[in-house]
Amino acid sequence: MKSLEEVLRDWEAVIGLEVHTELTTLTTKMFCGCELSHADEPNAHVCPVCLGLPGALPVPNREAIRSIVKAGLATGCEIEKRSMFYRKHYFYPDMAKNFQTTQGPVAFCMHGRLDLGVRGQGASELPDGAAAERAGDGSVPVTRGEDGYEVPIRILRIHMEEDAAKMNHLGGAEGRITEAAESLIDYNRCGTPLIELVTEPDLRTPEEARLFMEKLRRIFLTIGISDCSLESGSMRCDGNVSLRRKGETELGTKTELKNINSFKSLHDGLEYEIRRQAEVLEEGGTVRQETRHFEPGRKRTVVMRVKETADDYRLFPDPDLAPFDLSDGFIESCRAELPELPDAKRDRYMAAWGLRAEDAETLAGEPALAAFFEAAVAAGEPAHAQATANLVLNGVMGFWNAEGAGPAESPVSPEQVASLAALVAADAVTSAQAREVLPICAETGDDPAKIVDERGMRQVTDDDALLPVVEAVLARCPDQVRQYREGNVKVIGFLVGQCMRESKGKGNPKRFNELLRERLS
Amino acid sequence: MSLLDELSARQIASGVQAGEFSAEEVCRASLDAIASRDAELHACLQVLEELALAKARELDRDRAAGRALPPLAGVPLAVKDNMNLIGSRTTCGSRMLEDYESPYTATCVQRMLDAGCLPIAKTNMDEFAFGSSTETSHFGKTANPWDAERVPGGSSGGSAAAVAAGEVTLALGSDTGGSIRQPAAFCGVVGLKPTYGAVSRYGVVAFGSSLDQVGPFGRRVEDVALAMNALLGEGHDPMDATSQDCPVDFLEHLEDPVEGLRVGIIADFIDAEGLSGEVRSAVLGAAEALADQGAELVDVSLPNVADSISAYYVIGPCEAFSNLARFDGVRYGYQEPGCATLAEQSAKSRAHGFGAEAKRRQMLGAYLLSSGVYERYYHKAQKARTLITKSYERAFEEVDVLLLPSSPRTAFKFGEISDPTQMYLSDMFTISSNIAGNGSVSVPLGLGEDSGLPVAVQLQGPAFKDRRLLTFARAVERGFEAEGRVAPAFAGKGGEL
Repeated sequence: MKSLEEVLRDWEAVIGLEVHTELTTLTTKMFCGCELSHADEPNAHVCPVCLGLPGALPVPNREAIRSIVKAGLATGCEIEKRSMFYRKHYFYPDMAKNFQTTQGPVAFCMHGRLDLGVRGQGASELPDGAAAERAGDGSVPVTRGEDGYEVPIRILRIHMEEDAAKMNHLGGAEGRITEAAESLIDYNRCGTPLIELVTEPDLRTPEEARLFMEKLRRIFLTIGISDCSLESGSMRCDGNVSLRRKGETELGTKTELKNINSFKSLHDGLEYEIRRQAEVLEEGGTVRQETRHFEPGRKRTVVMRVKETADDYRLFPDPDLAPFDLSDGFIESCRAELPELPDAKRDRYMAAWGLRAEDAETLAGEPALAAFFEAAVAAGEPAHAQATANLVLNGVMGFWNAEGAGPAESPVSPEQVASLAALVAADAVTSAQAREVLPICAETGDDPAKIVDERGMRQVTDDDALLPVVEAVLARCPDQVRQYREGNVKVIGFLVGQCMRESKGKGNPKRFNELLRERLS
Repeated sequence: MSLLDELSARQIASGVQAGEFSAEEVCRASLDAIASRDAELHACLQVLEELALAKARELDRDRAAGRALPPLAGVPLAVKDNMNLIGSRTTCGSRMLEDYESPYTATCVQRMLDAGCLPIAKTNMDEFAFGSSTETSHFGKTANPWDAERVPGGSSGGSAAAVAAGEVTLALGSDTGGSIRQPAAFCGVVGLKPTYGAVSRYGVVAFGSSLDQVGPFGRRVEDVALAMNALLGEGHDPMDATSQDCPVDFLEHLEDPVEGLRVGIIADFIDAEGLSGEVRSAVLGAAEALADQGAELVDVSLPNVADSISAYYVIGPCEAFSNLARFDGVRYGYQEPGCATLAEQSAKSRAHGFGAEAKRRQMLGAYLLSSGVYERYYHKAQKARTLITKSYERAFEEVDVLLLPSSPRTAFKFGEISDPTQMYLSDMFTISSNIAGNGSVSVPLGLGEDSGLPVAVQLQGPAFKDRRLLTFARAVERGFEAEGRVAPAFAGKGGEL
């Protein structure tokens, strides 16, 4: 198969996403009062309504409607004041009524938009020149910058529906019902409030799809509607992808990609699928409309199900649920409950504290992380925002990972991080040393300044102490001095290293570097 | 010594309260009436002796403890077998649910029990309420108490017959296209279909969710009014998103005069093709009785109402297809043994669990909802529904009540109507108020001059004006001698109190 880069030189990949998010922060199911909990023993949280017993009727969960309206407001959607629930019929025991309650042509949220900033290596997936062609499909054009590009991705809709039960097929080779000796059904999940977001087919590279999902996850986490775990399945994503020759406007036949449980899988699954389709098409074959399953271990997709005819779900308005008439007051009260969204937070970090865009974006993305970071900046006197950001991103997060902790239950306090960042900013410790100090902070609870002093880690920045070291090193290394003067400036690294050794690691490398350059110029 | 079938609900409740007889004695009288009468009638699918006696004893204990008893204390109640009641089966007249026991009780049944009713029996019905004769029940036919060769009407035929034969004092039925009013007319009892949303549907096995409404049968308008107090008294049911909060005292204005009120007569209905002469003259007699009491008769028209049957036979089957999809034999209900795959099991369980009419309606619904077809029929039916509803609203700007037949004719013989589409026309006068959702009631007018069988008039009121509807029903009742009457073949057979 050709590489992605080669394929995208000749072909345009058209990608759309369908993202299902369980509203895990609610306490009850969508249409009944059963507790939302998947962890308990199977069928612990069921009632006549979610079991679809004869005579049972649905009553909508008002809090779930609040959540979807917030999701819509946070993604630039128009909130439809009048919308309805529909019944979507299919015979399968994971849905006790043999229909799923979902929405029809008009969803609670319609026509939204997320702006992606595609930077760095990932930006190169989109070939140069693709920007201009892209405006033709109705989406807003790409704007290229120095380090990447900005592209708006349109959201078609976000609708509300109920999740199905979990099935466990035993005794079959592939975990499917057809081969299974026994199939067990756990209705705990049945009736879980679920929102489905559908994008327009505006995405063009696997990287864009990955960034879209990441951004969406950050937004949903920030507004607090879900724990958004791809791993556990509380956030699930299907990717639709088709290829067309560059310059074509007609869409090719698409395949649907399932079983994506990480951002990497989304990227790699789409990449494989784009390359596979290109191979099929270039060999004169045709792409079949089918659902494909991504196997992360083997980095490939395999056919799950061929769709020869469109399923007829016999959708019609649910007569048990009156149409919703959302009032302006209700919508405004949802808006008022929205916290600062990641983009606004990122912009604030950049404007107020001069943070680098990428750092600001990462820190603003996770609510708990942002809260920790802001607490650390606030604790600093004076505040060292960028130094704090560097320390959090390149030190504290790694420490959390190693400890199995996170910002919400951090073993180091924001005050300790603030104090440590101040030491880094003052060149009193190096970043590498700061990383070593973190576990000691956690263990002792002491102020980092005390730890650094007690352990003799504080770096010497006083020129009076550093200059003799520099002189001694220069005298000892005439070869390197000559090489530097002949233009091999890289050799300065060696000289700094010698100074560090000479000072037993206590001299400040940055200042050594500066002093060496001064003396050699 | 008196006969249970001669007492009104109010008399029973006050007799129990006063200690003239115990609730248990009433219960045993009702069970005795069933024992003597139901072999011939077959109105009851289950007699709930233990449940009823337990309830009766509870009331008697409450009375002994000096507690005030609820308004329907000790009144024998029969419940259509599509309503859930813990401790009984909910068969819906179908093989599919032959052994199905619900783990919860329907709100409407619970409210009747809370009002003091004794749950005496579950009654026969057309399978899943698809029918107008109770002949499609998997468990056999129910006789019309006035002529054992004839049908009791349907689909709530068992409930109507049980009341008409004096086995019980009150019964609950459900009405999707006339399933309370038509059997009430055939059996000579009062049958009310309240406004859609007045009575909770929670726990009533759905046929057409936007059309179904639960209502009471009684031999007197007053009994029906008392039942409505019980059904609506607690207001909105939080378990039914379509239920409305409309508690009113149905007794308060029951005896009000109708003088000066306007009664609408629709020429298209009075002169409808297929309307029998004896029903026509009885209905005109009812109009006259109201006029004699000072009501003003007004000619009104109901444009588009003729489209009701077409709209009904689109909307009804669509909703039925959807509502009955859950019966696949996986977790409960009839399960075909020996199947190799899930698909085979579902298909065969449904093929053998449902009867012909239930399958016919579901297949029709499945077709009507399929893509390409849906747009042509379902949308059009919904538009017709809107027009019919508006038609009613305009008519009720001019009149307080509409007067029309309940059924085009008196009870027919078993097997007499075998063409389904002819059977569907039994509901030609009742369907429109399911489409529009407003309340309507069938009131008995005695016996037809030709057939000697019960004839009835239907009164239809504006939405959520069911109390005034019963005021008119009571006015009609005053003008005829049908009040409290038990079919003579059964009157006094057992049931001594």
